[in-house]
Amino acid sequence: MSGRKHICAALVVLLAGCSGQQAALDAAGDQAATIGDLWTLMLWVCGFMYLLVLIFLAHAIWRARHALDAEPLTHGSGSRAEHPLRMALGGWVGLIVVGLFVLSLATFFIDRSLAQARTDDALKIKVTAAQWWWKVEYEGMAPDQRVVTANELRLPVGQPALLELHAEDVIHSLWIPNLGGKEDLIPGRINSLLLTPRREGEYRGQCAEFCGLQHAKMALDATVMNPDAFTRWRQQQLTPAPAPSTPEQIRGHEIFMSGPCAACHQIAGTPASGQTGPNLTHLASRRTIAAGARPYSFEDLRDWLRDPQSVKPGNHMPVVQLSDSDLNALTAYLDSLK
Amino acid sequence: MYSRCLASLLLLGCTLLAGCERETRAFHEEAPAINDVSPTDFRAGGTPRPVAKNPQAAEYERNAFHISEGKRYYEWYNCYSCHAAGGGDIGPPLMDDEWRYGGEIEQIFSSIVEGRPNGMPSFAGRIPEQQVWEIAAYVRSMSGNAAKDAVPSRGDEIKTTKPLTQVPPTPERSEPPRSNR
Amino acid sequence: MPSRDYANTRYSGLDEITTDNVAKLQVAFTFATGTLLGQESAPIVIGDTLYFVTPYPNILYAVDLTQPGGALKWKFDPKPAAASQGVACCQPVNRGPTYYNGRIFYNTLDAHTVALDAETGQLLWKTRVGDFNYGDTFTMAPLVVKNKVLVGNSGAEFGARGWLAALDASDGSIAWRAFTTGPDSDVLIDHAEFKPFYPQYRGKDLGVSQWPPEHWKIGGGTVWGWISYDPELDLIYYGTSNPSPWNHEVRPGDNHWTNGIFARDPDTGKARWFYQFSPHDLWDHSAVNENLILDMQWQGQMRKVVVRPERNGYMYVIDRVTGEVLAADAYTYITASKGVDLKTGRLIYNEDKTPSQGRVVREVCPNSPGAKDWTPSSFSKRTGLIYMPHNNMCMDWEVKPVSYIAGTGYIGVNARFYPGPGDGNVGELMAWDPVARRKLWGVPERWPVWSGTAVTAGDVVFYGNLEGWFKAVHAQTGEVLWQFKTASGIIGQPTTFRGPDGRQYVAILSGIGGWAGAMVSGELDERDPTAAKGFGNMVGELKKQSGIGGMLYVFALPR
Repeated sequence: MSGRKHICAALVVLLAGCSGQQAALDAAGDQAATIGDLWTLMLWVCGFMYLLVLIFLAHAIWRARHALDAEPLTHGSGSRAEHPLRMALGGWVGLIVVGLFVLSLATFFIDRSLAQARTDDALKIKVTAAQWWWKVEYEGMAPDQRVVTANELRLPVGQPALLELHAEDVIHSLWIPNLGGKEDLIPGRINSLLLTPRREGEYRGQCAEFCGLQHAKMALDATVMNPDAFTRWRQQQLTPAPAPSTPEQIRGHEIFMSGPCAACHQIAGTPASGQTGPNLTHLASRRTIAAGARPYSFEDLRDWLRDPQSVKPGNHMPVVQLSDSDLNALTAYLDSLK
Repeated sequence: MYSRCLASLLLLGCTLLAGCERETRAFHEEAPAINDVSPTDFRAGGTPRPVAKNPQAAEYERNAFHISEGKRYYEWYNCYSCHAAGGGDIGPPLMDDEWRYGGEIEQIFSSIVEGRPNGMPSFAGRIPEQQVWEIAAYVRSMSGNAAKDAVPSRGDEIKTTKPLTQVPPTPERSEPPRSNR
Repeated sequence: MPSRDYANTRYSGLDEITTDNVAKLQVAFTFATGTLLGQESAPIVIGDTLYFVTPYPNILYAVDLTQPGGALKWKFDPKPAAASQGVACCQPVNRGPTYYNGRIFYNTLDAHTVALDAETGQLLWKTRVGDFNYGDTFTMAPLVVKNKVLVGNSGAEFGARGWLAALDASDGSIAWRAFTTGPDSDVLIDHAEFKPFYPQYRGKDLGVSQWPPEHWKIGGGTVWGWISYDPELDLIYYGTSNPSPWNHEVRPGDNHWTNGIFARDPDTGKARWFYQFSPHDLWDHSAVNENLILDMQWQGQMRKVVVRPERNGYMYVIDRVTGEVLAADAYTYITASKGVDLKTGRLIYNEDKTPSQGRVVREVCPNSPGAKDWTPSSFSKRTGLIYMPHNNMCMDWEVKPVSYIAGTGYIGVNARFYPGPGDGNVGELMAWDPVARRKLWGVPERWPVWSGTAVTAGDVVFYGNLEGWFKAVHAQTGEVLWQFKTASGIIGQPTTFRGPDGRQYVAILSGIGGWAGAMVSGELDERDPTAAKGFGNMVGELKKQSGIGGMLYVFALPR
């Protein structure tokens, strides 16, 4: 009884991998689908071989049980069993060679097709990985149309996006399983990754190469949207941050500008021009805080500001001692950056 | 024979434990407080007025994590643009044995926080104090004054200076500027 | 004015000192400046008085030439803010005072312009033109055109937004200010009057759209070099410096209007044309060098041109009426670019050398001080040659993360310099024929040549080197006719003048410093090759050959 329960639980866990926000088998883009096809082909070829092995194994066991009195195989020519054995072995080797050949060819051509990125109409996005967050920059028609955001990747459905991959400190790897394969981000090298999303939805990308203490909390929130919504989002991201309106927000703004925050973070439209930390111009329009460490909410943001080292120990955001009222004011200001 | 074995084991254990301290990563440390730090120990009346040492501050220059973080912040807060990798530029060199405003870690801390009149800006309120201590520890390491087992033997950037493990410690002197600078 | 005339020729009609007798030159008198951080000022002589400015604290000395040995007539101490030294990228130098209509004008490090009565030294006005808390400093020598004192800021290494301002010479009020970045209204671009030759300068608000959002506010393009004026066309010409920060990855776009030359109407400040030498600057090839205003033969006809020895290693000949580039010839070893496309006017960068974070780019030539920095050349009407100090250096370059924090450096680069290919001699005084577009001869120097030049009707060219030798060179052959070892390295500008006694004198400030001499005068540590932004790597024996100093030397022929 309990055994069955365990199997059920295990199955649920396993099958959960087949769909959802971070699932390689639930392709939402061309590249993931292609890789999925390759996976399916591998499954069929290997499954078929596996089945054959099992059949032979079963046959051998059955034969061993029922033919103890049969004439033992003998070496040398003229033996009765020699011919079919040779045939069978030859066939088996042939099957393996053909199978591996098919798989190699398929892998080769699919890799090639993924690598030969058609980039003419692609949306160009520069993604820079740092310990432990993602900087995402959209190239615009003119340099001043460049959108800079952090820890979120928004893509219009149907349009290929060419990601230019950079790393600031150590080797990272970007993997958004629903959209495509992994690609490493290596300091001093520029890699590229083409993603062509086909289905709207929210997906989760993750750093897939161990990169230090907070490797696990280095997620990239990927959203595939319809093109109109994407254009609206992009336009909105280009606007400078809204001016603080309530007295509390105004105070929060002052705390931000006069304190250490402005030395590392940028908020467009204000004097804060730091570039070593994530750009916060439209922080409140994002869905997560600190590269997916927490979902975005006023309370989570305040927790994060109060003690970032508890939320994500070892990250480079320092603990800044603030009174409760200052903390609330700062959170209120940042929360107004829609 | 037995006792020698035990001694070696003990020694090994101690060495390993020392390594632990060097690698400790404290994310929630309170910044050491400073009081009575002056750029000079010269005092009227004849008796020098030494810098009040804070043992907690001394931990910073014995800890590999703090020193490496200090190096990161040294770049992030643009210390680099005036002092280069220690050889100096707009600001004075940090790797030599001349300290205009004192070379104790407490004095370096207060130079960063308070600023100095000939162009060193004050970073008060701009850099959180823990990070200033880390930067000060890194600055101390440039002139060979941080613990040798806590400094990296090589950096990641283009080769700039000698490995910090090979820089001999410099005598500490607190001296006012030599010229009218 | 330091550049002798509005055309920036630094040509003196005095001919008492000739190639025959120059070898007899001897010290007439010396005068201590009392300061030690790089003497870049040109001494200027008005009547019986010689004026020069020291580096910070920017004391202006008026030396009475009628007294034997040159006595102090008066001095003026503007007491600039000490903290402004912290935002002076390459030592707190000053390139000199200028004279106009009975007044002496000069700039102080903390971004003030002062006007003094030339006779008494009385302060007439003092205007705060910039704010050093945001990186604005002053190192340049002003130029007065039509009663307007033209001054521009330094500070592109601190994210200062560049500008050229015109102050009313009578009261110091700001008549106009032309920013280098930002919307057309700030840059004083009026599309009815602005007629650049090339299409890439014709759009609207390019000073905004060729930058990432908001970045033009901290985009550099300061104006710390030389201004020329053509009275006939009634246009001023000046260069704009590098964009901020040096790390180019932070600022995609062509970064208008940095690293270019503007022609403007001096009355209104409105721009007439523009040309960009190094669009989207990769190497701090700041375009502030002098513009020599010449009328010369060009393919059979006389053309009004600006000849511009540029930091990126090309000698440009530009039509000063239209802004068309007629020629751009390499005058040094270049790997950073592959030439200038004369059709589009664009510099063709060498793609292999494009820096990106995490990758060290090696063998970039010329290095960031360029094939030639601010050190002004001279032009002789007699020989038709340009005498130009220039350098042959290369570098390794690595871009690094950088944040803008007002009042701190905004650079983001790790560099180290070394001599370019050749015999190890880094500097040279070169004679260039602008019509034939070729070099005639050169005087090699072990160290970068960081002094200006002056040429006289006696066919003698004067300049100094970092070791402290002050030299007189034959303007036609390049033969070194005379040299004198001053106490410290020379980075100043020679001046020649007729004294009250009717004799011809030559004056130079000796005192190492500036970018190339900072390793010595700043007592920097050469164990760090990146010290002084890369000069740490090539100090060599310089510290032994030149000490720190600050002294005015005046030479004359024996009576």
